[in-house]
Amino acid sequence: MLALQILVDGFAISALYALGATGFTLIFGVSGVLNLSHGALMVLGAVAAWAATNELHAGAYLAALFGIGSTLIAAFATYFVVVRPLQTSRAIPKEETEIFVLTGTLLWGIMIQELIAYFFTDNAKTVLPIVEGVVDIFGVRTPQNEIFTAVICWVVIGVLWLIVNKTRSGKAVLAASMNPRGVTLLGFELSRIYIAIWAIYGVLAGIAGVLLGMFLGVSSYSAGPLTGSAFSIVVLGGLGSVSGSLVAAYVVGYLETVTAYMINPAYRFIPALLLLVAVMYVRPQGLFGRR
Amino acid sequence: MLKRPNLSIRHALLSGAAALASLFAVAQAEAADPIKIAVIAEAQAIAGASIPRAAQLAADEINAKGGVDGRQIQIISYDNKSSATDSVRAFQRAVSDDKVNAVIASYISEVVLALEPWAARLKTVMITPGAASNEITKAIHNDYEKNKYTFHGYLTSAELAQSVCDGAKDILVNDRKMKTAVIFSEDAAWTTPLDVGYKECLPKIGLQVLDHIRMSPDTTDFTPIFNKIEGEKPDVMITGISHIGVQPTVQWKNQQVPIPMLGIASQATNSTFWKDTNGAADGVLFQSVSGPSVAMTSKSVPFADAFNKKYGNFPSYAGYTAYDEVYYIADAIKRAGSTDSDKLVAALEKTDWEGTIGRIQFFGKEDQFTHGLKYGKGLITGMISQWQDGKQVAVWPPEIANGKIRFPSFIKAQNQ
Amino acid sequence: MHAMFRSRLFWIAFVGCIVALLLPLKVSGYILGLLTVAYYFGVFSMAWDLLFGFAGEVNFGPAFLIGLGAYTAGILNGYGVPVYPCIAAGAVMAVIGGVVLALPALRLRGPYFGLTTLVAVLIMMNLIVVFAGVTGGEIGLTVPDVLSVNADTNYYIALIFMIVSGIILYALSRSPVGLILQASGQDPIEAGALGFNVTKHKLTAFIISAFFSGLAGALLVFYMGTASVGTLVSISVGVQVIIAAVLGGRRTIIGAAIGAIFLIAAGEALRPLGELSTFIVSAIALVVILFVPSGLLGILTRGEEHA
Repeated sequence: MLALQILVDGFAISALYALGATGFTLIFGVSGVLNLSHGALMVLGAVAAWAATNELHAGAYLAALFGIGSTLIAAFATYFVVVRPLQTSRAIPKEETEIFVLTGTLLWGIMIQELIAYFFTDNAKTVLPIVEGVVDIFGVRTPQNEIFTAVICWVVIGVLWLIVNKTRSGKAVLAASMNPRGVTLLGFELSRIYIAIWAIYGVLAGIAGVLLGMFLGVSSYSAGPLTGSAFSIVVLGGLGSVSGSLVAAYVVGYLETVTAYMINPAYRFIPALLLLVAVMYVRPQGLFGRR
Repeated sequence: MLKRPNLSIRHALLSGAAALASLFAVAQAEAADPIKIAVIAEAQAIAGASIPRAAQLAADEINAKGGVDGRQIQIISYDNKSSATDSVRAFQRAVSDDKVNAVIASYISEVVLALEPWAARLKTVMITPGAASNEITKAIHNDYEKNKYTFHGYLTSAELAQSVCDGAKDILVNDRKMKTAVIFSEDAAWTTPLDVGYKECLPKIGLQVLDHIRMSPDTTDFTPIFNKIEGEKPDVMITGISHIGVQPTVQWKNQQVPIPMLGIASQATNSTFWKDTNGAADGVLFQSVSGPSVAMTSKSVPFADAFNKKYGNFPSYAGYTAYDEVYYIADAIKRAGSTDSDKLVAALEKTDWEGTIGRIQFFGKEDQFTHGLKYGKGLITGMISQWQDGKQVAVWPPEIANGKIRFPSFIKAQNQ
Repeated sequence: MHAMFRSRLFWIAFVGCIVALLLPLKVSGYILGLLTVAYYFGVFSMAWDLLFGFAGEVNFGPAFLIGLGAYTAGILNGYGVPVYPCIAAGAVMAVIGGVVLALPALRLRGPYFGLTTLVAVLIMMNLIVVFAGVTGGEIGLTVPDVLSVNADTNYYIALIFMIVSGIILYALSRSPVGLILQASGQDPIEAGALGFNVTKHKLTAFIISAFFSGLAGALLVFYMGTASVGTLVSISVGVQVIIAAVLGGRRTIIGAAIGAIFLIAAGEALRPLGELSTFIVSAIALVVILFVPSGLLGILTRGEEHA
């Protein structure tokens, strides 16, 4: 039964990691930005949803939508206030843009985190689950919330895949990640594409944040570790590769779960870290990396 | 010729003026010489936010009644952002720049332990309203002359364990015939002696300790831990958690873990805990030193109500102790007739004060827990409460209980 | 030499030093203590700037080198080794650690180098917590000896250390070695084609950076009397160092020190605002980065040509 327990528990947490990592890698792949405020944006979504329930007395669905919306707005703010000005600034030499965007998003993330702590304290918050109760899967008592999380994550990833591969605008986005100049020649406005990708990113991060809030709970302190974990998964999978992130998310998720169950919950993060180190030396571009 | 008479009038006028002026000066000096108490606390944490507020409330009350021998109490607060380094800096600033007479500091053991050597170096009285580590009093006992300026204004971990056991004996063993327990605590300075205390006193009350799980305070996913505990089939989980609380409680409810929780859960004592967990707190049993509408002493309810009236929410456990601390510091200053640190230490050692959490007395130089609070009937016993329908209901000791224990449906507790 | 005396940068630095040396006569012990910590952070940031500003390598984990220096010194002192050997040992350990990290890491391109350094910090944090028996874990290590209990003495030690380090690092950056580093950082292929051993030079930069970081870390431990994960080996320490260097003006060495002092002073000046102080400091830093990418030093020396 332990094996089944690990299978079920690992699946849900990996799905959540996958959703978070996908957004992160998408932004890097298309607009070249390593968004270090990623974790803060997720926490923002969860805390907004919590606030909607507790201060505005909204129902679970409405609160979730409110949370996702908040992250979406914050994602746009990240792009327009921090990223775009730095990327288009003429005072910054080209090869330094990356470090500036990095530092800028880092500061932005800290600002969001501190604001959350200021208004809502640094105590952990949980989001009202949309689905409650437990269900029996072959003898493993599983909260329905967990199943809901996994399902939603995969549905969203599926929808994303459809958009990117099957719709015209989606394919434009994909093209832009490979050759931005070429895409403009085809008549697409790059700025529109960037706005679209940040919008997608905002929704992804928002959903991931709200789900995380429902499943495990978040606090303003979670922002940093969440960014760090998304970062490592994306590196493992290969910067810029969505399928790589998915696979890596599951590898990391299951490594952590197995460690927590079979060795010791305190050492949960260590095997994934060691794996990351190993990959860095043996295959730095990650499993499916192409950049 | 004209000068002579003028001189004498002038002389009289001048001396009169001088006398008047010096009277004013003395009056000013007395009125302007407040007793300064620094409050170093974690303003962004729910437990910590109550500390400066409660202290201010106490100061306002004392000042309204004329202060201490005519001197007003001034509270100077510092937000340490839960950091030991910031706390040390704040302490240095409080003593050297703001020239405070005493410091009330933090509910986190790591912070208090970092400050203890500084209280010694700067020879300033420091009292903690919430930390629990035994190391605090141990350092005082081992080097009294150096560390005597520190007082432990809260129950030590050892006493907390005893308080939980005393409550558990009545509630769990006698009433519900429970036989086995698993200790569930976070890895921190204060839980090491707490767990030692649990392992000693639980078997004495009839609960066999099946396992002892210590988890990192950074844990976010408790599923594997709960599964492991469930596999061992204990009747109850005895807790020792402070940094974590919301997340394990919510996951406990979501996963419908059929084992009840009782013990030290600092976050559960906060009035916002119900909201933070979206109601998952229902059924959680926790130890505290007082609670809203619980008349632990005649001062408990008036304080809680005054706090709620002024700030819009009930105080955390550290609020009660901080409030008492301002009062008995003022009392000690009065008895000592001075704010000199060594005299203050001697006066504090003789404290016998009815506070909001019980009767406050400190252990002496020869006792094991020097400058720790004395525990026991007639002094401080602590109490056990349970969250029910959004309210904290006192369930033990029977003298102050205002409700009966009730568990959510997924709990299998014998003799419900 | 004459050119140096005419440069605005030199005079700013000179005046700054004079002011700093005279400060203890007027200012309280508390502020001196604050500046003492700021000066050590200044050295951390300057060491980081040498690596990034010149060698072009983004080190996300300065905390790894700092931590090695600090904890080595602290643990040895706990076993009775006197203060100065401990400090020396700390610096040496940081260099060794730096080499171990750098040798494989320098083979990696771009962001991957940074990531390796980040991972190094994470591993170190976990090791410290796991071996809590020796390191004191999250609670921290209390060191029996301190450099001095006198605020003035501590202040001067930190200030002199920072000035000396600054001079050495700055001189390095302007030396032929520094120029080669700059070339390697901006165009490694060209530099390699010109016959320079890029990797060897970057490794040298790393070692120097490690040496100063470790030394400063060890000194800081003996100033504060404690070392813990939260204060010395965490991502936030790395973040502060990086922000300080970028904010102050990268590639200037001096700018990094200014940035560090500014960050700590601003954080303190905003203390009355309590919880919002970190927010405001970050916001200010963001604004500076957005509008004046050459940093604070850029604002001060506006209109001047750099070498």
